[in-house]
Amino acid sequence: MNWERYLDALSRVPHELAIHIIMVLISLAVAIAVSLPIGVILTRPRFRKLGALVMNILNIFQAFPGMAIIALTMPVLGLGLKPAIGALVVQALLPIARNTIAGLYGVDPNIKEAAQGMGMSEKKVLFEVELPLAMPVILAGIRTSAVYVVSVGTLAAYIDGGGLGNLIITGLNMLWAEFIIVGAGFGALLAIFFDRGLSYVEYKLTPPGFSIIK
Amino acid sequence: MSNLLKYMIENASMILNYANTHFSLIFSAVVISLLVWVPLGILISRNERLASIVIGIANTIFCIPSLALFSVFVTIPFLGLGRSSSLLALVLYAMMPMVINVYQGIKVVDKSVIEAAKGMGMSSRRILREIQIPLAAPVMFAGIRITVVMATGIAAIAAYIGERNLGRLITEGITRNHVEMILSGAILIALIAILFDTVLGAVERMLVPKGLKVRRSN
Repeated sequence: MNWERYLDALSRVPHELAIHIIMVLISLAVAIAVSLPIGVILTRPRFRKLGALVMNILNIFQAFPGMAIIALTMPVLGLGLKPAIGALVVQALLPIARNTIAGLYGVDPNIKEAAQGMGMSEKKVLFEVELPLAMPVILAGIRTSAVYVVSVGTLAAYIDGGGLGNLIITGLNMLWAEFIIVGAGFGALLAIFFDRGLSYVEYKLTPPGFSIIK
Repeated sequence: MSNLLKYMIENASMILNYANTHFSLIFSAVVISLLVWVPLGILISRNERLASIVIGIANTIFCIPSLALFSVFVTIPFLGLGRSSSLLALVLYAMMPMVINVYQGIKVVDKSVIEAAKGMGMSSRRILREIQIPLAAPVMFAGIRITVVMATGIAAIAAYIGERNLGRLITEGITRNHVEMILSGAILIALIAILFDTVLGAVERMLVPKGLKVRRSN
């Protein structure tokens, strides 16, 4: 153990952590903006058949390993932060779209019919009945994505994306345990922070009586 | 595309070698996790307080980025670079899907079925062995399926800590800027993961008892 190296590693943490958080937040925001509307469109009665098909495809893609996606972006987009964000967006899209579709399908058809019977327009049913009821499932998807993106974000350092992975890689290359521990520790804390924070939001937004059994 | 095929054919023996280590790592990880996590899952299904603690731990471990977990084990002296670190990390990641699926599988068994068994005079151990576990089998198997698919992907990252498996094609391809190498690694890993997922999914559907099938298709 070498205290100077610890200090050296710690002094690099704010910069790398900031890059990591920015990377995660941008890719999550883009992924939500893209896959939420797609999920909503695919569950409309008009596209119902297409929805089932897309759901199956997404299920298959769920098996696609994160590292493969990071590695595949490099030949296409090159090195740097932007390609890393691109790879993370692809990564984050799937769980959100999947959970949006699953959540909207999961809304009791009786409730939708009751809303229609009360004279609500299709739009109103969507925004005031379906989306609030599907919100816990959608948020669970966003949470899965967030944790996943933080995790794969550490790999982004290999394609020059920066972030906490930089510290871990330096540590692995030089066999400096101090760098590994600092980088891995903050990476783990960041992931746990996102997980806990979003699960709190999820808990707060779940309508009473509709909490998912955990 | 033709370059890719050419590369794969020219290096077939190396790729097969890597695939072999990849499979053996996944296989040992899955076997160990079955031995450790299934009994733990059954245990916590009978003790609520323990269950919430264990599930909390499993969820927390699952959050830790894989590169971080792998590299932290490298710094522990008796684990070091290579197989034992990667195996331990994979087994720990398997805790979440395995333990929780076993636990939930046992928990969601219809209460009236259990009561009927009690009424027939079965002891609680016999109920567990003859009713809860068989009925939970499909859910447990879903956990195994998630574990296998996840392990396929995460095992690739173990290439950074000295495992010589398919992930090595990606790591070395990135260092050498060798596109065909990266592509062959990424595509092979993805294909293997998707293959495992499809095959195990089919097995899972076969495992569901006939009477429960209707409920699943809804």
